[in-house]
Amino acid sequence: MEYVAYTLAVFVVVTAVATALLRDVLAAIVIFGAYSLGMALLYTLLLAPDVGLTEAVIGAGVTTLLLLLTIAKTVRPSGDRTIERIDPRALFACGALAVVFGLTLPGLPAVGDPNAPIVSYDAVTGHYLTQSYAETGVENTVTAVLAAYRGFDTFGEATVVFAAGVAALVVLRREVLT
Amino acid sequence: MIPIDDLLLGAAAVFVVLAIVVLYRAIRGPTMQDRVIAVNVLGTNTVVILALLAAALDVPSFLDIALVYALLNFLVAVAISKFTVDRGGVM
Repeated sequence: MEYVAYTLAVFVVVTAVATALLRDVLAAIVIFGAYSLGMALLYTLLLAPDVGLTEAVIGAGVTTLLLLLTIAKTVRPSGDRTIERIDPRALFACGALAVVFGLTLPGLPAVGDPNAPIVSYDAVTGHYLTQSYAETGVENTVTAVLAAYRGFDTFGEATVVFAAGVAALVVLRREVLT
Repeated sequence: MIPIDDLLLGAAAVFVVLAIVVLYRAIRGPTMQDRVIAVNVLGTNTVVILALLAAALDVPSFLDIALVYALLNFLVAVAISKFTVDRGGVM
């Protein structure tokens, strides 16, 4: 179990670095799709299948298609080199940022820790786990929270996504007409 | 006698290692066709890993995700291939 997760983590890191360093934009888009697949597998392995499903559809599917459409309408830099030249200052900034983020890791509870705040603070978690079916009639607790308890919030998100989709269609349509 | 769950997990681990090997082809190229095929293989690999994990951890709902991956894999491969052909001169 741990070996699979660690090897997947190596896969994700390699794809992420390759996406940043590849000079050819189309190649970077292809590798980014592979990154999304690895990330979705990692989510699924951590028993968050719904997040994994979203990552696969949005990350590997929609984002790849949108980026392909974008470079179809623009140009892509081409050259002899496969790998972009690395700017030492940018490398230093990225490394410093990674170290700062890494410093927060010891503060996180371990996976499955019975003393984690989300478990020990039972008043909230227990309420949702025991009452969500009686109050909303939805069997899956996560779905109940998303669609019922914070239904207005989800409705707002859906409105934003719909507006963005309409805007993208309008822009693409105008491109075709002119 | 090795428990069957450990055997399945071990197979999943081997497939993840294989994914890293295929990744070399995806990054190195040198042509776009190599990359498309490599990413297609990676997607199929992912479906196999998910099926093995579903059997090993006894979570049948992972199979739904495997199905979505299989469909998505096909879509992405067709999209990239079509793009490559349409702009043949530029590729």
